Amino acid sequence: MPKYTMAGTHPTESPTEQRHRRSWFTGRLVAFCLASTAITVVAGLIQVSFGSYSMTIGQAWSAVVDPDILFDPAVWNAFLLGGDLPEMDNASLIVWNIRLPRVFVAALTGSTLGVSGAIFQAVTRNELASPYILGVSSGAGLAVLLTLVVFPSVTIVVPLFVGQFVFDTSSMLPLIAAAGGAIAFALVYAIAWKGGTSPVRLVLAGVIVGTVFQSLQTGVFFFADDLGVVQSAIAWTTGSLTGTDWEQVRLAILPATLAIVLALLGARQLNVLLLGERTAQSLGMRVERVRFLLSGVAILAASTAIAVAGIVGFVGLIVPHVVRNVVGGDYRRLMIGSIFAGPALMVVADVGARLALSPVQVPVGVVTGLIGGPYFLYLMRRQQQMGEI
Amino acid sequence: MAETDERAESDDTGPVREWLTDEDGTRIDSAIVGEDLDLRYPTSEECVVECARLDVPEGEVTALVGPNGSGKSTLLKSLSNHLEPESGTVRLHGEDVQSFDQAELARELGVLSQENESPGSLTVEDLAYHGRYPHRGFFESVGPADHTAVDDAIEMAGVDHLRDTELGQLSGGQKQLAWIAMVLAQDTDVLLLDEPTTFLDLHHQFRVLETVRQLNERENVTVAVVLHDIAQAARFADNLVAMCDGTLYDWGPPETVVTEQLLADVFGVEARVEYEPELQILPKRALSE
Repeated sequence: MPKYTMAGTHPTESPTEQRHRRSWFTGRLVAFCLASTAITVVAGLIQVSFGSYSMTIGQAWSAVVDPDILFDPAVWNAFLLGGDLPEMDNASLIVWNIRLPRVFVAALTGSTLGVSGAIFQAVTRNELASPYILGVSSGAGLAVLLTLVVFPSVTIVVPLFVGQFVFDTSSMLPLIAAAGGAIAFALVYAIAWKGGTSPVRLVLAGVIVGTVFQSLQTGVFFFADDLGVVQSAIAWTTGSLTGTDWEQVRLAILPATLAIVLALLGARQLNVLLLGERTAQSLGMRVERVRFLLSGVAILAASTAIAVAGIVGFVGLIVPHVVRNVVGGDYRRLMIGSIFAGPALMVVADVGARLALSPVQVPVGVVTGLIGGPYFLYLMRRQQQMGEI
Repeated sequence: MAETDERAESDDTGPVREWLTDEDGTRIDSAIVGEDLDLRYPTSEECVVECARLDVPEGEVTALVGPNGSGKSTLLKSLSNHLEPESGTVRLHGEDVQSFDQAELARELGVLSQENESPGSLTVEDLAYHGRYPHRGFFESVGPADHTAVDDAIEMAGVDHLRDTELGQLSGGQKQLAWIAMVLAQDTDVLLLDEPTTFLDLHHQFRVLETVRQLNERENVTVAVVLHDIAQAARFADNLVAMCDGTLYDWGPPETVVTEQLLADVFGVEARVEYEPELQILPKRALSE
């Protein structure tokens, strides 16, 4: 016996009167990405035009668009696969072999850090999360310091059938940094795990592990007896692009691409995670597994950036924030936006790091901190509530 | 009228019957059956709910009622496999819920939790599309079946005019209707709702309950719902499960379950219950503990 009467009849929607559906791919997103690209390109052109080797802006720009270089397979073979570089004049050599790769590394670093931050903010459902909140930065920093101070230039020789494979620890620094970050994250996850994890427990464990590792870092500094080692260590732990060239591009491009593709594929999962664990589970998501895998993608992205640029602060925190403010919280848009906005921030910051106090270069992490900190404070003052997404 | 006191029945020395029966001896098919449940939270050793048998009859609306802390929500969590019982089993259409693949379960069983995280910039329509999550593969994009299900859900929940509004702009009641639209879009045969009307104004309480009732009548969806208000539950549900201190106090149609004795024992209030012309509860005062 019906106690409630039915309100209205069931509507049947014929295919012809399908209502207009808003696509998630909005004009605002396109405009945002175009603007970010424009900023990146302009900053990149400034970066290649100035420096200790003086040339005119015209010389520099014509070197950038020189068709003899752009369309020479041998040149790209040298850049991307590490072959021998063909003859070219000095201006071209400076632009293409020294200044441009630095721009590319900055762009790759910005993209990966942005993506990594975006993922961590969704996984922990906390706007204040960043790639480094889960212990990655302190782990990587400690690993680098230990390598520089305790085992400086230990040479490891691995005998092979033909000859032997020789590497020393200083050339292994990027990988050591990434490994340190990944180990710290694994530690954080293990500590936070108690029949499952929760965003709050992850963040707390990250902060604790970070603090302990930071103390260890400070301790290790005391054992450094060489000023050069200390400077090198500081460059690593604050993030620096000084001296990067095509080797760094070659190192970063594959893992960065992989991480970005995986992050884009995971955008929908992140959207569901934002509804809360219980809802995500009710909707049929294996929450723990998805959270772990996506964290893995974020670690890969962050490690890639750490490996080539050291620990650049604030980018992973600020980029998703800016993007969210402009294109909204939908992760399909947020992820694409971050891929474009990250390079813009990073390349601009690196222009400042390299040229502002020329001839002295400051670590780019110092500049991102100087830009990011005040911007974050501005957001905090403007927004009513902050923290939860 | 159905056999009412299953709990007392199973406390006897005789074997626990496999099926509930009505007075003619025809069995009642249950969408969900919980048996010998011992529920406790991982953080404590204490048993929160103990229950020999719980039935959620197929195609009917069953309301779980009881005072605060009586274990209603905990029991519902175990039915939706959000809480693994210390011992005992929960079967959905005869199969152990734990044997289901997560997405498979989500296609059969819709769950709306008591409190939900509502991302402020998410639109009502986008939220409803999330209800299609278990129906879509990892690389699958939204198809016509998803569009239809979402349109129907939004229509039924009565939030069509709010389709493009962001959740951050909605009132509590509107937000709840948007969440209802999401579970409706999930298109399941069984629906579990944890206190969907708590904190809502009277208008939205009715809107939510009417939507659920409509869904039950139109699509024959089985519903189990935790309700705070016994008077509301008595008017709305086909069956009541009254809970007290983590055990089942009584089970059956509202007319038999709701008695002045129950209101005194379970809710601790002195009340008058009138059965004619329709079931009515007139609470008078709180009884001393």
